[in-house]
Amino acid sequence: MVQTDKVLDARGLACPMPIVKTKKVMKDMGSGEVLEIQATDKGSTADLQAWAKSSGHEYIGTETEGDVLLHYLRKDGAGTVEETIEIPEVTLSDFQVRVENGEQLNILDVREQEEYDEAHIPGVKHIPLGEVESRMNELEQKQDQEIFIICHSGRRSGIAGDMMAKKGFKTLYNVVPGMRDWTGKTE
Amino acid sequence: MTKKTAIIASNGGLFDAYKVFNIATAAAASDHEVSIFFTFEGLNLIHKEANQQLPMPEGKEHFEEGFKKANVPAIPELIEMAQELDVKFIGCQMTMDVMGLEKEAFVDGIEVGGAVTFLAFAQDADVTLTF
Repeated sequence: MVQTDKVLDARGLACPMPIVKTKKVMKDMGSGEVLEIQATDKGSTADLQAWAKSSGHEYIGTETEGDVLLHYLRKDGAGTVEETIEIPEVTLSDFQVRVENGEQLNILDVREQEEYDEAHIPGVKHIPLGEVESRMNELEQKQDQEIFIICHSGRRSGIAGDMMAKKGFKTLYNVVPGMRDWTGKTE
Repeated sequence: MTKKTAIIASNGGLFDAYKVFNIATAAAASDHEVSIFFTFEGLNLIHKEANQQLPMPEGKEHFEEGFKKANVPAIPELIEMAQELDVKFIGCQMTMDVMGLEKEAFVDGIEVGGAVTFLAFAQDADVTLTF
């Protein structure tokens, strides 16, 4: 999992307290440091994503441990501490054509479990964004092959692409937008 | 540039209080500059005594248990939080005059002003809400 510098226990707190507490803790952290926020408020996932976006922090991902949500945020986003690698984008429609032509593509879906369960492209590899860092070795043999990364809109897949490019994956493509506008086959 | 959120609180029930202070603290935590204008019954929300026991809407008293179960912070706690995050409270002078209330009856740190005080802030606000 992501290396964390600080842990905030916001379990049992209702909206807007997880955000308010996060804001307070984040203020005293260093740029590039990672905060783990433990919360039981189910709205906190969406709230923290929106909050991170509007306040310039990077939302790394969320994991669930029983009833507890573990959110990971990086202060000030990745760009300020190390260069972000922007992987090339491929449009959803071009991508869909290739999928429907029956090409055997390596597709990595980095959405959360629930989103994946709801609908995903048949045959994709699924690793939620929060686990990409620790599990990308599962794709090691494909390091030199083309890998198409997809999420809901293209944002998380971009982050995943950045992480993987830094670890030596050579030909990554970010599918933009993502499953949000996918009209092809799902399972 | 800093975003601005302007809120008018004109109702004095417990539900109204949560709507006002939840949005206000969330906005402040998102680095918005927030001002709340309390007018008419909205003044109850910042009245030192009244805000300790704001009424539930009639027939909705059974929600009390839900508030406890969800561990929702009490209103005075949210107010403190809001003030810590620099949310500005403006009490409506005219309403206070009508109700015969002095500034001392309200939580510390409020400003007292007229509609124009609020309008001056709200005219270039990014978010404007009325509760």
